Amino acid sequence: MKRRNLPLYLGLAILLLFVLIALVPSLFTSYSRKDMFPPWQGMSSEHFLGTNNLGYDIYTELIYGTGDTLFIGVTSSILSLVLGLAIGTLSSSESFVGSIFTSLTNMFVYLPKLVTLIVLSTFLGSSSFTLIALISAFGWVGTSRVVKGKIVHLSSAPFIENCTLLGYGKLHTVLHHYVRNLQDVIVSRFLAGATSCIMMESTLSFLGFGDLYHPTWGTMVNYAWKRGAMLRHAYNYLLAPGFAIMALSLSFYFLSLFFEKKQEEINL
Amino acid sequence: MTKYRKDIVTALLAFCFVIILNFILPRILPGDPIAYLTGFAEEDMTVKQYEYYEDALHLKAPLPEQFLHYLKSLGDGSLGYSYKKEATVRSLIFNRLGHTLQITLTSVCITSIIALVLGLSSGLSKGGSFDRAVTTSSVILNTVPTFMIGIVLLLFFAFHKKWFPYANLSSTGVRKGTVSFFLDRIWHLFLPVLTLVLAQLPSRFLLVRNLAANISEEKYVLYAKTRGLSRRTIKYHYIFPNIAAPFINLVGMSVGSALGGALVIENLFSINGMGTLLTDAVYSLDYPLIQGILFVTTAFMTLSIILSDGLCLVVNPKLRKKERTQ
Repeated sequence: MKRRNLPLYLGLAILLLFVLIALVPSLFTSYSRKDMFPPWQGMSSEHFLGTNNLGYDIYTELIYGTGDTLFIGVTSSILSLVLGLAIGTLSSSESFVGSIFTSLTNMFVYLPKLVTLIVLSTFLGSSSFTLIALISAFGWVGTSRVVKGKIVHLSSAPFIENCTLLGYGKLHTVLHHYVRNLQDVIVSRFLAGATSCIMMESTLSFLGFGDLYHPTWGTMVNYAWKRGAMLRHAYNYLLAPGFAIMALSLSFYFLSLFFEKKQEEINL
Repeated sequence: MTKYRKDIVTALLAFCFVIILNFILPRILPGDPIAYLTGFAEEDMTVKQYEYYEDALHLKAPLPEQFLHYLKSLGDGSLGYSYKKEATVRSLIFNRLGHTLQITLTSVCITSIIALVLGLSSGLSKGGSFDRAVTTSSVILNTVPTFMIGIVLLLFFAFHKKWFPYANLSSTGVRKGTVSFFLDRIWHLFLPVLTLVLAQLPSRFLLVRNLAANISEEKYVLYAKTRGLSRRTIKYHYIFPNIAAPFINLVGMSVGSALGGALVIENLFSINGMGTLLTDAVYSLDYPLIQGILFVTTAFMTLSIILSDGLCLVVNPKLRKKERTQ
């Protein structure tokens, strides 16, 4: 195993573990979500992370929260990516439409993201789908800027000019040259977007805007905080979801590290 | 020059966007605008009350006129009326704004200084052991959500070690205006500010580091190195002036995100600021108050961007001279 590939394997290992947990949670815990035990138990071999105020097993909650956290994070980062690609492409044109979308992008950079999201989610109510829609409605900005830069850069590249001179159609140029060259941007923006979407989701859920029927890790911390885990010394209830969020974001970061290194090697 | 002018126009556009969003949201969403604008449920109101509110909120008037009334409420500074709390939104926010700004501005200053010092050192010797250590730790720190940083600090320093208080910004019984009040305030601010600094530092540091690393490849830096100038001189006299403008912009931009972070942190440390006011408003569905907070936050953000762009013009001799020669 080459040292260069270490981030790839590490990132994939963590991510695949989380995906497996999300797909078959029952494999990782012997309890179901609603099994009741005496409340506020400490860590033991029966309850890895103890039980909460209602007597649910915290470790089981964590396992079952994986799917929702991953779903919201990944879906909203895919949506942000699509939006960013579309708006980035539109804003790269030199026409009037292009300048409108460029200023729209610049404007979104200046909006206070968190507060605007809080206001919107109070008005729109909290469900997983509103959360996904809202996070992606504000998550496309970075991607759009990068995509625009790349397309503008490509348009003046010699090999694209060459295509035009040789009389290739626009479709051919776009499919075989633009898309190929945008691939690494798409991968790196997806990975970066996944991290930031997961962070945004967990912050909003911590503030109580999460879907109460599909508790994510952020919602778990919110519950733990509100139900007085601090005073009960149930620190694991507060910290375990946080570590899970950290591990998930790190796995995406490792993957992006690998692709970044690979890209650097190609460019050299 | 045009770049900064464009920036300011964009910031003002964002400001207008928020104003329009605030105006439109309660009016286009399904449901009665009165319910949104007062925060009371329709069923709980008598016909008389309903008519009173409809009249007071000018909801019978055509939309453009309603918009003018809304702009007027922003213009005279009342920012609307919270029927739930029976006070103008301005008075509610104004009481709390000071506390939020104390956390935000202190941590923006501290973050910027640390980011600058660490970023210059890292950028000048990119790939060195110091750079690798700081970059790795900031990347790891970057994967921790703000509220988790706060919870960990709170657990360790306030609950476990009991070195710092876990709530409020002042102890009871300390009189305002005295030295002990000031020291007490710093003692209370320490953990919230540290949380926000740790949350904001990684991204700021990485930006300064990349800016500095780019400049370090310039020939004049190489020449300065071969002349045997100290690293300190190279960092602060050769690299810093060249990244000053983007650095100032960076500081201006971080005010907005720090405000957002402060709103989260206040809830953790039970600080009587805009963040706890916002949570309170969200739970009691006090829509005018929520919108007022968004307005004030955006106003501060716009102001800091305009200030930082203006400052860039002042400190950048290239731009000033170009203006004069034109």
